[in-house]
Amino acid sequence: MSGFAQLDPLLHSQLRLAVMSLLISVDSAEFVFIKEKTGATAGNLSVQLDKLSNAGYISVTKSFKGKKPVTTCSITKVGIKAFEKYVNNLRGYIE
Amino acid sequence: MSNKELTKDESLELITHMIGQAKRNVAKGGSFYFLLWGWVIMLANLGHYAIQKYDLYEHPYIVWTLIIPAMVASIWYSAKKERAAGVVSHYDRVYSTIWIGIFISIIILLIFMGKLDFNHNAVILLFSGLGTYLSGSLLRFKPLLIGGVSLWGAAVVAFNVTILDQYLVAAVGLLVGYLIPGYLLRKAEK
Repeated sequence: MSGFAQLDPLLHSQLRLAVMSLLISVDSAEFVFIKEKTGATAGNLSVQLDKLSNAGYISVTKSFKGKKPVTTCSITKVGIKAFEKYVNNLRGYIE
Repeated sequence: MSNKELTKDESLELITHMIGQAKRNVAKGGSFYFLLWGWVIMLANLGHYAIQKYDLYEHPYIVWTLIIPAMVASIWYSAKKERAAGVVSHYDRVYSTIWIGIFISIIILLIFMGKLDFNHNAVILLFSGLGTYLSGSLLRFKPLLIGGVSLWGAAVVAFNVTILDQYLVAAVGLLVGYLIPGYLLRKAEK
């Protein structure tokens, strides 16, 4: 055994890790905010958010502000645990 | 940003960078509430005091209807701020939870103010002091911490004066506890 834990493949990808790092720092964020901060395209971001949501790492709610549809994301407890595990494993590699 | 796999160093760098991005977005605008409520409640207290003391009108509590437009303005402002930011920080959530909690406590207090022989103003000052002190701690902003302590001081004074004079004490308490730190906070937000 190498002593190194496998890094979560769902988090070990640039855009998904950026989204999770952003969401762990805030209570909730709208799609537009995440798009702006990550610089991702809307289509790609949508796909990656779906992947994180399907894994239970984030919750996505859709609502309306006036007539405008708004997608709001927040990290779940499962997501926080996965993120912490990822960071700890990463630390294991680097130390 | 793409879906490429990262090296370990790139991962750490990205996490640090994104957390920094979120931090930079800590919402401003807390001073709005201190200034709005500071002015409204101070003027209502002074109005109540003056009307009752100089017998200007038989229902001095009419001045407290000022609270209704202030509530509308608060709700409007917070909705506008949230819409503009597109993000709710942990700080925003704790901050609004504290003040909503205090607001509910004050409403319950006002319903039963008769049971306190109408010494409710002193207790409101205690609650306001607590909210201001906690806000100062959350924001790491000393003038608000001092403001909170001043409001507690005003509460101690209010418990020892007549009900009528409590309105005057509350007005001074709000000037020192809300308005002065509120203006300093607004300056710091710029």
